[in-house]
Amino acid sequence: MELLEAFRLVAAPDVLIAILASAIYGLVVGSLPGLSATMATALLVPVTFWLSPIAAVATIITASAMAIFSGDIPGCLLRIPGTPASAAYTDEAYALTRKGQAELALGAGLWFSAIGGIVGTLSLVLMAPVLAEMALSFSTFEYFWLAFLGLMCATLVARSSPIKAIASMLLGLLIACIGMENPAGTPRFTFGVPDLLGGIEPIPALVGVFAVSEVMRAMVTPEPPKLPDRKFGSILANQWALTKKYQWPMWRGNIIGIIIGVLPGAGADMAAWVSYAMSKKFSREKEKFGTGHPEGLVEAGASNNASLASGWVPSLLFGIPGDTITAIAIGVLYMKGLNPGPTLFTENARSMYALYIIFILANIIMIPLGILMIRMASQVLRAPRAAIMPVILVMCAVGSFATGSNLFSVLLVGLFGCLGFVMERNGYPVAALVLGIVMGSMVEQNFITSLIKSDGDVLPFIERPVSGVLAAMTFGALLWPLGVWIWNRVQGPRLPAGSAAE
Amino acid sequence: MQLSDRVTGGVLVLLGAAAAWGGSRLPAVPGQEVGPAAFPMLIGCGLILCGVLIAVGIGRSFEAEEAPETPHPWWYGLRALVPFALLLFYVLASETLGFVLTAAAMILVGALVLGARLRLALPLAVLMPLLIHLAFYKLLRVPLPDGLLSPPW
Repeated sequence: MELLEAFRLVAAPDVLIAILASAIYGLVVGSLPGLSATMATALLVPVTFWLSPIAAVATIITASAMAIFSGDIPGCLLRIPGTPASAAYTDEAYALTRKGQAELALGAGLWFSAIGGIVGTLSLVLMAPVLAEMALSFSTFEYFWLAFLGLMCATLVARSSPIKAIASMLLGLLIACIGMENPAGTPRFTFGVPDLLGGIEPIPALVGVFAVSEVMRAMVTPEPPKLPDRKFGSILANQWALTKKYQWPMWRGNIIGIIIGVLPGAGADMAAWVSYAMSKKFSREKEKFGTGHPEGLVEAGASNNASLASGWVPSLLFGIPGDTITAIAIGVLYMKGLNPGPTLFTENARSMYALYIIFILANIIMIPLGILMIRMASQVLRAPRAAIMPVILVMCAVGSFATGSNLFSVLLVGLFGCLGFVMERNGYPVAALVLGIVMGSMVEQNFITSLIKSDGDVLPFIERPVSGVLAAMTFGALLWPLGVWIWNRVQGPRLPAGSAAE
Repeated sequence: MQLSDRVTGGVLVLLGAAAAWGGSRLPAVPGQEVGPAAFPMLIGCGLILCGVLIAVGIGRSFEAEEAPETPHPWWYGLRALVPFALLLFYVLASETLGFVLTAAAMILVGALVLGARLRLALPLAVLMPLLIHLAFYKLLRVPLPDGLLSPPW
């Protein structure tokens, strides 16, 4: 009965239109180099104000799934990843294109993205109710560790110094301290500015860090080359053969993606890096990697989309973002009265079912729309950067203004843009900063409440079985880079930073 | 803006010290050991530690190699500040000039700095603000300021 009701919710015309429109939007934004899936989602937020709850969530789910796939397109054709989640296998896809097999590379991106998305959704369907049952008994200790684990996972970003990542995360936490929202309600670090009393809203920070800093980067980097016009053959022609041939890597990619997605704080980018490394490690044809071999594409392409869906697990259950995209989604969920938490699954089951259906639907329509997008890619990618970037900038201003009808947030967007730009330039990962900002008050609240409950004692933090396991995982994530470093010292330097495999 | 790790590490140390000092001066909640001061002080200490480690170059081996930058005249890097300047312009001018004129100016300047011809930049600066205004003001009901020039809708 609930399921039927959920179908009815999704079949509402406004939801269907929202899905279609955001699918096209996600495909276009994801395919433009420099415009990431997170940015696509952040710029959608003002639009979701005006939509019904289900339609609002549908736009975020659809746009992010499409953008993650679509990021493969410029990666494959121009060797410029459209989104960071495609960066892991851009060289491989481009090598295939140079061998004249662009259709195979793009088709693999599309087909295995859709499969990854659907498998990820199934994991969400299966895992969420079980975990919800468990989460009902969680106390502030468990929530503290979960949030802390999320922060630590956010620092395990590939290709960056873990210390710089931790510093970024701490900076985010410090920014979250600003304002009156702390256990005592005292204004902190407001410097007498009334606009700061309410704290720093995550949306202007996100838009600044992910969108404005990208416009700034465009100002000082040369324009990417134009795509030559080309006709594509059949996109999906050999995909079934690939599916059968690389069935095992595909499943491994799905599973790794799901695991990384469920981990709070680690998202699609990391899933792709880890899966690509994993694929190379276990492949029977290692030497073919990097020369245009589809195996890695299969595994990593499935992985990043699978992580996208399972990233919603911690977000929906605990309000702890699985990645930067769900960090935005959580804000929208609260705004729409679908407050994350285990009760969401018991009291609002039809909304949850509707959400699952939207996920599946989005991944199914990804295939026809994706083929269309691939065929039109050379037209879309020909849009001059000088025309897109200024418009994005105006959208940033309007979008952040819309979140509070307040010009101060426009200023914040600019400041965060500068901060993000400088950080990125110097090797500080901005995703860790953003998750610090989003989760700061949650970490603090649970930390302080737990400390008060335990009377300053450390033991209750690890006494309960679940909190003990979570604590161990957190310290594992913290000490992981040290382990990699020692391993490198012993084995000779060859391990890419932060990736769990190889 | 490429800075050395010593500079960014040093900045983090200073920031951490300021956070810890500022946090320590926050009033405590009577009768409680931990209050609003605990968290900023903890973060401050963490930042100091990270800053020192970064400044002495620990963790450097994890970073991906940067592509060598093509040499540019010194003012080229300042172009990165154009978007911030345009946003600042929006903050200061949108109330008086109104959304359409402000956005048109932003798009025109932004496009020209990015190397667009006037043939592209001018129509863009005329059309896009109107479209965005239509979408946000009419459909999404965002109270954009009218200013000097209000669109017909």
